[in-house]
Amino acid sequence: MKKNKGMIVGFLAPAVIIFLIVFLYPIVRTVIMSFFNIESVTDAFEYWEFVGIDNYTKLFKTQIFVLAMKNILKIWLIGGIIVMALSLLFGVILTSGIRGKKFFRAVIYLPNIVSAVALATMWRQYVFAPDYGLFAKFFQLIGADKLAEMQWLAPENSFKALLIAYCFGMVGYHMLIWMSGIERISPDFYEAATIDGANKLQQFRYMTLPLLKGVFKTNITMWTVTTSAFFVWSQLFSSVTANKATIVPVQYMYLQIFGAGNAVTDRNAGYAAAIGIILCLCVVLVFTICNAFIKDDDLEF
Amino acid sequence: MKKKIVSVLLCAAMVAGLAVGCGGKGEGGDKGGDKLVYWSMWSEEEPQAKVIKEAIEKYTKDTGVEVDVQFKGRNGQREGLEPALQAKQNIDLFDEDVNRVNGSWGKYLMDLEDVAADYEKEHGNETLFKIARTAGGGTLKSIPYQPSIFGFFYNKTLFKEAGIEAVPTTWAELDAACQKLVDAGITPITGDTTYQTSTLGYHLGRYLGQDGVKALVNDPAIMEKVEAGDVEDVNWDDERVLKALKDYEDFASKGYFSDKMASNVYPDGQNKEFAPGDAAIIICGSWLPNEIKGMVADDLEWGYFNYPAVEGGVDGAEANNIANQVFAINKDSKKSKEAMELITYITTGEFDKKMTEEALCIPTDKANADAWPTELTEVKPGFDSTTTYYDWAVGAENNADLTSAMQEGFVKLMVGDMTAEELVKDCAGICGE
Repeated sequence: MKKNKGMIVGFLAPAVIIFLIVFLYPIVRTVIMSFFNIESVTDAFEYWEFVGIDNYTKLFKTQIFVLAMKNILKIWLIGGIIVMALSLLFGVILTSGIRGKKFFRAVIYLPNIVSAVALATMWRQYVFAPDYGLFAKFFQLIGADKLAEMQWLAPENSFKALLIAYCFGMVGYHMLIWMSGIERISPDFYEAATIDGANKLQQFRYMTLPLLKGVFKTNITMWTVTTSAFFVWSQLFSSVTANKATIVPVQYMYLQIFGAGNAVTDRNAGYAAAIGIILCLCVVLVFTICNAFIKDDDLEF
Repeated sequence: MKKKIVSVLLCAAMVAGLAVGCGGKGEGGDKGGDKLVYWSMWSEEEPQAKVIKEAIEKYTKDTGVEVDVQFKGRNGQREGLEPALQAKQNIDLFDEDVNRVNGSWGKYLMDLEDVAADYEKEHGNETLFKIARTAGGGTLKSIPYQPSIFGFFYNKTLFKEAGIEAVPTTWAELDAACQKLVDAGITPITGDTTYQTSTLGYHLGRYLGQDGVKALVNDPAIMEKVEAGDVEDVNWDDERVLKALKDYEDFASKGYFSDKMASNVYPDGQNKEFAPGDAAIIICGSWLPNEIKGMVADDLEWGYFNYPAVEGGVDGAEANNIANQVFAINKDSKKSKEAMELITYITTGEFDKKMTEEALCIPTDKANADAWPTELTEVKPGFDSTTTYYDWAVGAENNADLTSAMQEGFVKLMVGDMTAEELVKDCAGICGE
């Protein structure tokens, strides 16, 4: 077929122009903003004050930002291990031919269709409530008095509480990704392995896991992207002002753009933009490491 | 053939969609057209919003001026108002906290000295107008309404049960009252973590004054004055700071605070401990009775006292955080006269009174000076006796980089998980001392 260059340009142009306006312009603007002091995020350029890399150097000297980065790293690492392990376990179980697969899949996925605000409120107000909460009642029932008396929302425990609540909501989403990967593996392989004498555990270890390398990469990337934008849960576990135990970079960024709590505090959208750029670089870094260490292009099935 | 028809129809739909999207300015929608446009900080389901809607209906009926009211909620207002004003969107009037309106959005405000001169004469509460003028840098740029005061609310029934006859006015008297409550088996003080920087700010303010607190937390807005020597440079190694924190450490050691103090994320303390009568005192703003009106114990009788004075302090019980919402008119508004009329409808007479009934708040209009809700009866003398006006949290929250750590440390101090010295060390570290 004869290629019509005009036609190609004509069809591509709208998409390319929209991409440039919707994605590239905000990215470039954010990068530029991060080198300026800007009081309001929508201030005209004439009000911007150039500060070079000061926003970045100040950020890494600011204890509360460093703490926020540590918190998000812990959420990514500890939460990631918990969510990946649980979602893979559920994924494997649900694809093993058990009865009621659709029902369990729907139940485990359910938290994803409930608003994060409603979920966080439910955890805070009901599950973690010290007197009549679900945890308090459950631990009383099994005689674990110390755990029953635990104040989940006190500073020393609130990070744990946040992590548990967040992981609960995320397992279903990643389970679906695992399941789609597992279901791509032909049942013939398992049949052959069974005939050769491999038990279920060996099949999982030597067949399922290696064949899921690509899906693992997808899951890690998705998890990193989601956690880097972690905000609503921290905000709801802190009420008006941010809590030291649960503060995350995006929450700190919000405080810098719109002011903190009830007081009228200094605002600097350029400083906030620098936080956004740092988070973006973190996601790119994780993605690059994943690509370097997890090679799945040698697999064909 | 069918495919071709479908393609043509889809193309037509797409072009029509684009044409609509690129259409010129309409009369309706966000632009408001001929309507008076009001961006409100309230959410539609709040009692304040209901009263405002009624006032607007009456205003439209009386004057024929239609109002496009948009209830944005606190966050919506904080996030969306300034970009909209910068984009020259048609907004005639808006409202929010007095300091935010005059501080963060000051450059968009109309000077109301002339526009509101008659209003002030007839309806203006002297205290509120003084605060509004101070916030506006000496000029009236906002009209106050729904004032509030921050202090200690208490359960009179529990006070009587413990044999407390007079409300505490000094720290020593509060100590004695709390001891009596403990002896009677009643938890003396509860609260929500959200408000604990305010508690700390108040206590530090008693010893240092507001500027002292701001200097202590390195509030960027006051550091210039500190460097110029106009304001005393207060640091965390100041013995008054340690003394203030030791006061709280002492209260904690005597068991005056609820053991859930550190885990009471708003609104747990007010809803689950104060409202049912499980704790006798709570520090909060005068919006408290409205927020918990549906859940208070049948025998709860409302009492209030201003934050007590401390021995050797700079400020006494006459220094308080009186805040209020304010209305402001966009300096670019073409309908400033109508906007001022609407403000008058909402903040005076019938609807101001209705606001006190529906939202259990303090009246704005001086003509309604006797319309205080029963729940706030004891607040009135505290409010009227205030002569020094503190900002929110007495300025203790003005450094966003410090607030989280200070708040967490302070609630730990209240439950005995941290000492005063440890809190001083933590905060000094963050402030680079």
